[in-house]
Amino acid sequence: MKKTNGKERTAVTLVVNGVTHELNVGDQPYQVSPCHTLAQTLRETLGVTGTKVGCDQGACGSCTVIMDGRPILSCMTLTIQCHGSEITTIEGLADPASGKLHPIQQSFVDHSAFQCGFCTPGIIMASKSLLDRHPSADKQAVKEALSGHYCRCISHYQVVDAVMDVAEKGEGDR
Amino acid sequence: MKLFKHFDAESIDHVLEMVTATNGKTALMAGGTDLMGVLKSELLAAYPEVVINLKTIAGLDTIKMVDQECRIGATTRLTDIAASEPIQTTFPALAAAAASVGSPELRNMGTIGGNLCQDTRCWYYRYPDKMGGRIPCYRKGKGPCHAIRGENRYHAILGGKKCYAVCPSDLAIALGALDARVKVVGPTAEQMMPILDFFNVLGTVLKPDELVTEIRIPLPSKTAVQIFLKNRVRDAVDFAVVSVAVMVDQEEGVCRDARIILGAVAPTPYRAFAAEAAINGKSLNETHVAAAAEAAVKDAKPLSQNAYKIDITKALIHRALLSS
Amino acid sequence: MTKKYRFIGKTTPRKDGVAIVTGKADYIDDIHPVSMLHGKVLRSPHPHANITAIHTDKAKDAPGVRAVLTHADVPPWMTGMPRHVKVLDQRVRFVGDAVALVAADTLEQATAALDLIEVTYEPLPAVFDMDAALAPGAPQLHDIFPGNLVTDFPAFGPNTLSKVVRGDVEKGFEAADFISEGTFGYENIANPLPIEPPGVIAQWEDDQRLTVWSGTQSASWHRWIMQSKMGFPDIRAITTQCGGSFGSKNYAPQCLFYASALAKETGRAVKVCYTKDEHFGAFVLRLGSRFCGKIGMKKDGTVTAVAGDWMVDNGAFSDMSQSQIAVGCGEAQLVLNCENWNLTTKLVCTNRCPSGVIRGFGGQELESAFAPILADVMAKAQLDPVEFFKKNYVKPGGKYIWREGNLWTCRGKDYTDAMEKGAVSFGWKDKWNGWLVPTAVEGSKRTGVGIGIHGNADVGEDDSEAYIRLNADGTATIHASVSESGMGQRSSLCKMAAEVLQLPLEKVHMTPPDTLVNPFDFGLVGSRGTYAVGSAVINAAEDALKKLFERVAPELQAQPEDLDTLDARIFVKGKPEQAMGWGRAIGIMRSVTGYGEFKSDYSVPNFLALFVEVEVDTQTGAVKIKRVVTSTDAGQIIDPPSLNGQLYGALGSAGLDTAVFEETIIDKKSGHMLNMNMCDYKWRTFNELPEFENVILETPFPTHRFKAIGVGEISTSPGPGAVLMAVSNAMGQHMTDYPLTPDRILKVWGEKKGIKNETV
Repeated sequence: MKKTNGKERTAVTLVVNGVTHELNVGDQPYQVSPCHTLAQTLRETLGVTGTKVGCDQGACGSCTVIMDGRPILSCMTLTIQCHGSEITTIEGLADPASGKLHPIQQSFVDHSAFQCGFCTPGIIMASKSLLDRHPSADKQAVKEALSGHYCRCISHYQVVDAVMDVAEKGEGDR
Repeated sequence: MKLFKHFDAESIDHVLEMVTATNGKTALMAGGTDLMGVLKSELLAAYPEVVINLKTIAGLDTIKMVDQECRIGATTRLTDIAASEPIQTTFPALAAAAASVGSPELRNMGTIGGNLCQDTRCWYYRYPDKMGGRIPCYRKGKGPCHAIRGENRYHAILGGKKCYAVCPSDLAIALGALDARVKVVGPTAEQMMPILDFFNVLGTVLKPDELVTEIRIPLPSKTAVQIFLKNRVRDAVDFAVVSVAVMVDQEEGVCRDARIILGAVAPTPYRAFAAEAAINGKSLNETHVAAAAEAAVKDAKPLSQNAYKIDITKALIHRALLSS
Repeated sequence: MTKKYRFIGKTTPRKDGVAIVTGKADYIDDIHPVSMLHGKVLRSPHPHANITAIHTDKAKDAPGVRAVLTHADVPPWMTGMPRHVKVLDQRVRFVGDAVALVAADTLEQATAALDLIEVTYEPLPAVFDMDAALAPGAPQLHDIFPGNLVTDFPAFGPNTLSKVVRGDVEKGFEAADFISEGTFGYENIANPLPIEPPGVIAQWEDDQRLTVWSGTQSASWHRWIMQSKMGFPDIRAITTQCGGSFGSKNYAPQCLFYASALAKETGRAVKVCYTKDEHFGAFVLRLGSRFCGKIGMKKDGTVTAVAGDWMVDNGAFSDMSQSQIAVGCGEAQLVLNCENWNLTTKLVCTNRCPSGVIRGFGGQELESAFAPILADVMAKAQLDPVEFFKKNYVKPGGKYIWREGNLWTCRGKDYTDAMEKGAVSFGWKDKWNGWLVPTAVEGSKRTGVGIGIHGNADVGEDDSEAYIRLNADGTATIHASVSESGMGQRSSLCKMAAEVLQLPLEKVHMTPPDTLVNPFDFGLVGSRGTYAVGSAVINAAEDALKKLFERVAPELQAQPEDLDTLDARIFVKGKPEQAMGWGRAIGIMRSVTGYGEFKSDYSVPNFLALFVEVEVDTQTGAVKIKRVVTSTDAGQIIDPPSLNGQLYGALGSAGLDTAVFEETIIDKKSGHMLNMNMCDYKWRTFNELPEFENVILETPFPTHRFKAIGVGEISTSPGPGAVLMAVSNAMGQHMTDYPLTPDRILKVWGEKKGIKNETV
């Protein structure tokens, strides 16, 4: 291969749940490889395992995180392309000082809006992002916002109730 | 995923330089929602040495109204297109097509350029390599099209010859009805081509050293009506089983300049000229609409399992025209 | 009815709720023992082939690779029923079957090394359906199954049910006013598809002691079942939080073999977590099912005879197909209370991904296959199906042969009231217009209604043991081998214990699902959690209290039976001042342990009816599920949201939607599974939820301390037949094939209208 003039990034800066991480690009376990997905980096390099990988092909929604204000699929995102981004994962929702759950998290507990719980972090992140943008979203908007999220146990009904409860109380944009 | 080198593109010229420098062993990534799957499943024997990130090119993700046309940068995300006020107002078919893609998360990542350039969803083509090896086929340059005598419920009913995989792009269908053009840039030249010319039976006309940088859509007549309808098994996640985009102008109850584009029925977006002819100069009544629907599929040659697409195509044309 | 309980029947937060919503709940791929390696599997390109040569040198030399194993050097462990499935075999039997194993430092290294293994195959002819497998001269999958027929049925002892022969079918058909017959299939071979793919981590502590962590449903299976397949090592089985199972991940014998073999070879912990592709293509599917036979019925709906052959497509192999056939034969009798049976079965091997345990467990497969015959005979008699099912399910005093071959007399509940209340909630009387008559027609949209029922006598299956340890600090610890795969049962068991012990719920905990620290429990299968496991835990709690009361009675100057406890304080009934805290009663550095058990009892079947309303668009062929009502009787609800969740589950895990769009699609020439991804394998999305109502009666059930009985498992099973019936009514035409995808709807509708499209 001839020499290319491009910028081959040597380090990636990520702000994950408010904490800045400077990660070097390389092939060691503590480094980011150009082919690593954001889901891999979060789970394996940073040890933030609340983000789950279901299908690893962008079709189940489990790996959803909020990046720069939008829910995205961390399994279909290259970490090296997230330089400078702000990322919120399920671990970033509760109040770090008091440990108090985010109202959406609390509502999911109150409604038992999960069964096996594997899809729950992704569903909560998508719900959080929706209510951040539309605090009083209606039921149809909730269902549409979650339309890419797979739940095989069928927690759907309780999830919609849990999210609507927060929307109706106007606590979603906390 | 297997290893590759990664570069952030600074400009389109920069991309072209890098592509030339790597002898085309390059993959261009915008939203990545298609390419990541192609790479993870190792669909193709050729694996890129270099992935170039197009999202870092400044200004390539904008929607602008200039000189009687709308210019949409190739890395503009589908969410932004679906939510864009000028697009909702002026190009509702495009807004509807963008809003119908995948899921909200995929639309937050996927781009208009990527949507046009994505690879087919044919399940023989997409068979993952690590489950016993990828399946060679005509499209991959070796072997027959397995769909012809195989499982072909989602394959082409029109225009299939050596390969029956269908074009998966929803935006292409809407852009076809809107008579959009695609800006293709290569090392020596750039050209504006009609969107329907951009596709060929094995994907797109893009050469390995070319890329799409912009889509331009002429302002439609103020009285023209646009409809985009997408039939699929489920109302989320799924690609189209059949889609139709229609733009039709009516003057004193008479149609003119109808454009009817069908999606997921042929290897390329399919312009239903016969259907257009069946309504141009006529009113949109039940008889003419039914004739248009019949005309659209008169050349259809379904495979063993996909004749139902004929019915769905007719139903969609019918619904689209009667709601125009 | 006023609730007399402190916790039972009330909505209380799941014990693991906060962990789940904060991302702290650990699933198998979230844990990493120190110096763990990653295992990967090389998979076969052929549906059937002999491996004639295999070279691993290049792979062994690749960076990070610690071991490469082939059929020549894996341990001689065997699974399958009877034992016939090796860790790796020289013969591969489906596209995606295991060929070689690699362990490496990283997942990427292990994956890359797969490409360096060179294999030469001698391809063999393959069979992809039961007809081909049974044809004379068909290629044979296994030497021990001549003609590709599995005839050995050891699942539940020497008399395991492999056919139902009762009464005199000839007389039965003579007595019938209507007879319907035919051959119908439920051959979607759908995937239960829990969101989390299966995974196991194995580590050998020494030559004979193996620790396995897994994201599976029933911890005990990886000890008690796998031990016998591996030469009886001392297996310590630990389960993490399990990301869904629906039976399929009760255990994962292949993953466990692979991880354990690689761990043995390397002396390190090895993780084998399947990708979603492997989960689709090389784990387990529902059994294929086809019923060829006839059903006779009197005018009044009395079923006089059932006869026929139930053909079951096993796939390449299975551990549990015979068990499912046995239970399916039993469940068919629960639904059709008939005196005359001649139901035979055939279990057939084919060259596709194996079958496994799945919610519905045989009964769903058999009942869905004969649903069209039942519909036809009901239609001939012009019988309302609600009345038919109400009349024909097994009521207290009715008889059935259960899985182990014994004739049982039902001493369970009468579910008639539940079915009637469900019908009222659904509005059946207003919506049912007779057979093949739509409920409504509006343009191309036609609505129709259907009902299905399902029953299972496995509510009291198998044995359970539990300890409860009462602690001086006023807490109690349940020791039971119960994993959490979504039922919420670990929380419900804490509620039952807290209710017996009268402790605040937050003072009752469970040990982790770990066979080293817990006694035997068969696991959460067949709706047995509440009744079987619950009873063991309740008995343990009562035993512990009895011991505690006996210990302190002298000091409190009372008889043990005069004592009671509230919030970790023991007092004399009627004399609350004569009391003692648990700290003093137990002793600050002591504990009191109670033991409880449950012994299997197949006399208490449960039932559930499912009503469904569908809308069919005859222009696009779309089938839309508009409304679902389930109705059942739980005796006493333990936790309302958990029970509702189980019933909503009718839409998941290859249940109702196998009649709408769920199916596994395999190329009939090459055997490649084509829709092994979550776009082409269809599942229900949030934006297409039908209205869903659960009608749950609480008629006290005498033999459970809290009058409860389990119903969770059975909600998926009546759905497919109910949808078939509803769509038939909407279209005015019997629909007989699953799933009712647009191609099928439009084909039938086109033929009905006399329109046919020519194909090339």
